[in-house]
Amino acid sequence: MSNEFLSIEDLHIHYITQEGTVKAVNGIDLKLNKGETLGLVGETGAGKTTTALGILRLIPNPPGKIMDGKIILEGRNLLELSEEEMRKIRGKKVSMIFQDPMTSLNPVMTVGEQIAEVIEIHEDVNKEEAKEKAKEMLELVGISGGRAGDYPHQFSGGMKQRVVIAIALACSPELLIADEPTTALDVTIQAQVLDLMQGLKKEFNTAMILITHDLGVVAEACDKVAIIYAGEIVEYADIESLFASPKHPYTQGLFASIPSLDEDVERLNPIKGLMPEPTDLPSGCRFHPRCPYAEAKCSEMDPKSVEVGAEHRVKCLIYSGEVSGKGIENE
Amino acid sequence: MVEKIKKKSQWREMWDRLKVNKMAMLGLGILVILILLAVFAEQIASYEDVAIKMDTSIRLQGPSKEHILGTDEFGRDMFARIVHGARVSLKVGIIAVGIAIIIGGTLGAVAGFYGGTLDNVIMRTMDVFLAIPSILLAIAIVSSLGSSMLNLMLAVGISSIPNYARIVRASVISVKDEEFVEAARAIGARDNRIILKHIIPNSIAPVIVQATLGVAGAILSTAGLSFIGLGIAQPQPEWGAMLSGGRAFLVQAPHVVAFPGIAIMITILSLNLLGDGLRDALDPRLRQ
Repeated sequence: MSNEFLSIEDLHIHYITQEGTVKAVNGIDLKLNKGETLGLVGETGAGKTTTALGILRLIPNPPGKIMDGKIILEGRNLLELSEEEMRKIRGKKVSMIFQDPMTSLNPVMTVGEQIAEVIEIHEDVNKEEAKEKAKEMLELVGISGGRAGDYPHQFSGGMKQRVVIAIALACSPELLIADEPTTALDVTIQAQVLDLMQGLKKEFNTAMILITHDLGVVAEACDKVAIIYAGEIVEYADIESLFASPKHPYTQGLFASIPSLDEDVERLNPIKGLMPEPTDLPSGCRFHPRCPYAEAKCSEMDPKSVEVGAEHRVKCLIYSGEVSGKGIENE
Repeated sequence: MVEKIKKKSQWREMWDRLKVNKMAMLGLGILVILILLAVFAEQIASYEDVAIKMDTSIRLQGPSKEHILGTDEFGRDMFARIVHGARVSLKVGIIAVGIAIIIGGTLGAVAGFYGGTLDNVIMRTMDVFLAIPSILLAIAIVSSLGSSMLNLMLAVGISSIPNYARIVRASVISVKDEEFVEAARAIGARDNRIILKHIIPNSIAPVIVQATLGVAGAILSTAGLSFIGLGIAQPQPEWGAMLSGGRAFLVQAPHVVAFPGIAIMITILSLNLLGDGLRDALDPRLRQ
């Protein structure tokens, strides 16, 4: 067996509401090796969190439903497991760090109890041993073990996120899904938390899916990147080739919208237009209404994923030769 | 030092806010005295020798040195009967509310957590119960089961189940979409763990307020049922039954009715003061 650890194939997740079907995830393919970090980058509403919840099978149902696809973790398709088997995977093999540490901790339980809880669920230990382990975990994330008896509201935001990380790593999971773990924190704390996660990830040899909309975070932490737009992966590459030569017009737009220190610009350079309504996705390429290189064909043809380099795939008609893509920067 | 200041649980904070509320503390003080009276009733005045001992030679006497609250229509000491009555009233009130919270709370939590058809079935059944005036429901239950203390508790408890079911359900619904509940799922917790350890402790506050006010209501219902003869059997002292027994002598000896009435009033008032204080202390909008 190769060291391929997680593979997602053609995943479709829809939210079926009275106002219409929200197509949140539309045919995502991903692969992740042991110990690797994959960045999942996209705008708000692109389907990043839905994908993450889908891996843990925690999509709120109703209205959410995994329509099609496979999520294969170590050779087992998670979508075919029973709820009971799935419960053994959550927190043990795959654990998740939620976006907002302010709300993802239970306000009436001490942080020690909350870390001990996951250990009690998955490991064959008694309450005392779990408490001891919880204290060790706290120390590991840089909080004194003596604070295990404190309540979440007695911690600052950055400290809470450390507690959340301690909970996520308490059972040494093989895959860590971090859903915008630093978005709710201020910049100085962001770097600390990222460093901490990087260090612990190495120590435990954990694979990680890092969900973010911050390309800076990606550059710092990831091995591979998937750019997600309207529920599709539009570009997938390793970190060097993505930052050296972004191919997809959307990815290029993302980079162009970051203010640069070297250039003196009057205004920021955003991608024009808005994310399409997920209930009413445009035909053909989902990005064509906002794409500066779009041609008539773009609204008719569904782009296929094209290999443009070693492990660098792009979903754009320009690269399959259907559309000229005049003016696109491409070295 | 810093640790000491910071070490404050949710309950501790609530207590700090309650402490400054004078009316609530007054209510709590009265309630504590009533509970002490009820607990030590036997030591204050013997049940056999004083509370149910009839002596028609001294019937309907006003307050005096021997009988500080006077005597009733059978010459029994009113003070002893009121003290022993507190035992009955508080016990019935608290146990009845306990029954209502356990059954109503479980139903409400299940309905709120799972939603859908189960929610509909449970809550529509509760609506049917709510459509019947609770005192009528209690009367119907007591008259079909027979009047005894246990049946009285059951009747008063069952008739207030729907209130608790509704409160717990509403509270559970507001908590169950919180991110920490999702986080608990993400660490592989089962539904019963999520409900018991994460949802209930976070939705208990409004239930406590309702329970405090509910005990007052239950005591009133008990007194009401006893007044119409469906409650505690003679000669056991019960405030409602004492009112009922004394009402024929309202003109000659008003104290026979007045003292149990005052006892009921003070108890209800103290519980309501405490309940209102708790509600303010738990209301996040009123926190400074």
